[in-house]
Amino acid sequence: MSSVEVNKSQPSPGPTDVVSPVRNNKEKRGVAGYLFVSGYFLLLVLFGVAPTLYALYLAFTSSGGHFVGLSNFINTGKDFRFLPAFENIGEYLGIWLASLIVIVLGLALMLHSLARRVSAAFRFIFYLPGALAGAASVLVWLFMLDPSVSPWKFVLSGFNFHNLGQTIQPSHLPLIFAIIAFWAGAGGWIVVTYGALNNIPNELLEAASLDGAGVWKTALRIKLPLIKKWIAFMLILAFAAGTQLFVEPTLVSEASLGLISPAWSPNELAYVFAFQNNNFQYAAAISVDLLILGLMCAAVLVFRTKLFEVE
Amino acid sequence: MRIAKSGNNGGRRLRLRLRTPLVVLAAAGVSLGTIAVAIPASAASKAKPVVTVWVDSTRVAQVKAYEKANPGVKVVMTVYNGNANGSGYLQSKISLDNRVGAGWPDVVFSEENNDAASLASPQFNYPAQLDNGTVSKTILNGFAKGTLAGCTVNGKVYCLRNDLAQNVLWYNSALMTQFGYTVPTTWQQWQALGEEVATQHPGYIVGGIGDGWDDNIYLWPSECHVNDVVKADTVDINASDPNCTRVSSLLDPLVKDGALTTDNVFTSSFDQSFTNKILMMPGPSWYGADLFPGLVAKGDLGAADPLAWGSAPAVTGEVGGGLWFMSRHVTGATKTAAAQVLTWLSTNYGSQGISPGFPAYVADEAKWTAGQQASGQYSTQLAPVFAKAATEVWSGWSPVPWSVDAVWGSSVTPSINASTSIGSLLPSFASQLTDYAQSDGYTVVTKP
Repeated sequence: MSSVEVNKSQPSPGPTDVVSPVRNNKEKRGVAGYLFVSGYFLLLVLFGVAPTLYALYLAFTSSGGHFVGLSNFINTGKDFRFLPAFENIGEYLGIWLASLIVIVLGLALMLHSLARRVSAAFRFIFYLPGALAGAASVLVWLFMLDPSVSPWKFVLSGFNFHNLGQTIQPSHLPLIFAIIAFWAGAGGWIVVTYGALNNIPNELLEAASLDGAGVWKTALRIKLPLIKKWIAFMLILAFAAGTQLFVEPTLVSEASLGLISPAWSPNELAYVFAFQNNNFQYAAAISVDLLILGLMCAAVLVFRTKLFEVE
Repeated sequence: MRIAKSGNNGGRRLRLRLRTPLVVLAAAGVSLGTIAVAIPASAASKAKPVVTVWVDSTRVAQVKAYEKANPGVKVVMTVYNGNANGSGYLQSKISLDNRVGAGWPDVVFSEENNDAASLASPQFNYPAQLDNGTVSKTILNGFAKGTLAGCTVNGKVYCLRNDLAQNVLWYNSALMTQFGYTVPTTWQQWQALGEEVATQHPGYIVGGIGDGWDDNIYLWPSECHVNDVVKADTVDINASDPNCTRVSSLLDPLVKDGALTTDNVFTSSFDQSFTNKILMMPGPSWYGADLFPGLVAKGDLGAADPLAWGSAPAVTGEVGGGLWFMSRHVTGATKTAAAQVLTWLSTNYGSQGISPGFPAYVADEAKWTAGQQASGQYSTQLAPVFAKAATEVWSGWSPVPWSVDAVWGSSVTPSINASTSIGSLLPSFASQLTDYAQSDGYTVVTKP
């Protein structure tokens, strides 16, 4: 009896639910597990852990390799582009995460209550934009946002946008990037959340409906609390990816012939430090700032939702 | 361990035994070395030197012309964005190449006129010095007076200028006649005419302010001090200087009534809106061959002297112009070939004749202008206007390691699009320039 079968017969929500111990197969499974993990682990060490350690080393040293304490962090923090970059990203994250929670969960719950065939069609449609890689989806949006070539020209002129420069004004950018991120990324999360909802035992839902819970009550009181860990997981990844925004502002800046600051987001500022000022120490310091932000968000969510606890 | 125990004699024997193969190896090494040296030497006479050249898309034709005219050199061409609009692409590649110690382009073209100051700085240390015999004195002296100033850092020449990008006043002579206007000679007349156009012929324009380089078109000719390097590492930035504010009070009303468009001239929306609708446009000499064909009917495009501020003698600015650099990392036969590629592209008429810009190399100027004139695009004689404007470029707009255009493009242009007055944007423009200057280690002074 494999662990997959165990899961099928005893579905329980949460990303950690694969851990259903089958003691007699423990040793065999252990070797296979390590084998499966080894490929990922190797790449993680090479391209994830090692660069992080190198960044930490750079962030605390001078170009001559001397330990300089926090001075790289202080100097980058004092840079005139630092605060605006974090403000930009903060605004963007606010819109992106809020829409992710409200709309993604809303649509996933809606799909879950639809008939199976209809729901499959919708899932496919939602997922489609996600099939485009990051840069390609930004290019699609550049066309959508430029009133001279956009198929939605009449919508843009309704907002009084008659050229690309007017559409991509600085105050519009957080919203525009959030829309792009949502368009490209939400579909994937809807499918994942739908999967999580499918893990909820039918008996539970039936019991709820017998007890008189309607669609709303079931969604809010039964379904959402049961997929809490998935939501936390989604937020952790979306937050980390969001703080590292790079492709969108860079491409829009290039396409608009420089109408956006080259250091719009913290990640872009790090890039400017590294490659235009040749200061890899400062770039590393900003990367470490972003790492700490991501870890803090993850820590809060992990502890609040007991993400790593196994029932 | 056993070696140590074998005593003196044994040790000696061992050393001897060891030494013999070492001698053999060394001898082999020497002979291999000779072979290694011999191979390239004999092959060099047969194999072509390979020169890597990076250019923007506009310069591709010039490189192709070089390849055709010089079959003895193999050119490997890479097309990149020309480092335009403060993208810093070239700097990022050079700094990566510096880190790995390989991969630098042998010859590179940049649209960014500040690049000599940036690339020759110790941070990048990329371009080869050219006035130490790498390029002959005759060639260097053949460039128009003052045009290598932007290539000169601490008294050493690091690049060759592709073209001059002196601003002139472009106009549509057929429309001017039809509307009964005379070509203005001062900025004040130009503005008054713009106001008239806005009421009498709405939809027609007298210029554009939607690009990241409009600072060069309006502030530079007004002698506005926003990047005037007064001495080494000291820059004068003062946007509240009357020379700057007079520009904003001139332009703001024109933006408001639509005579000055906020569309970027290099976008398709500009083409859609303003084909045959451009009455006048202050802009660089290369607009003639690069921007206007298709927008202004053939034979209707006129060029007039740069506008003056009242009765003061006219000065003008430049938009781009383009610089050719050679890597300091090339050696031997490649170096000779790279220097020849560099010189050919920037001075030979085979290259300059097909460049849209007015050549910086004096010997090509007359022929280039005649070629342009023969295209049938123009209604006036270009030669006297271009030649005069070339001598009128104001020298207080210095090459600096940061991109003034990028700051203008990201801080002023978008807000003009949002109907904010240029006058109210100048202070933040200056403060951002100050930030950039200080982060590049410059002292900022504000001269009254």
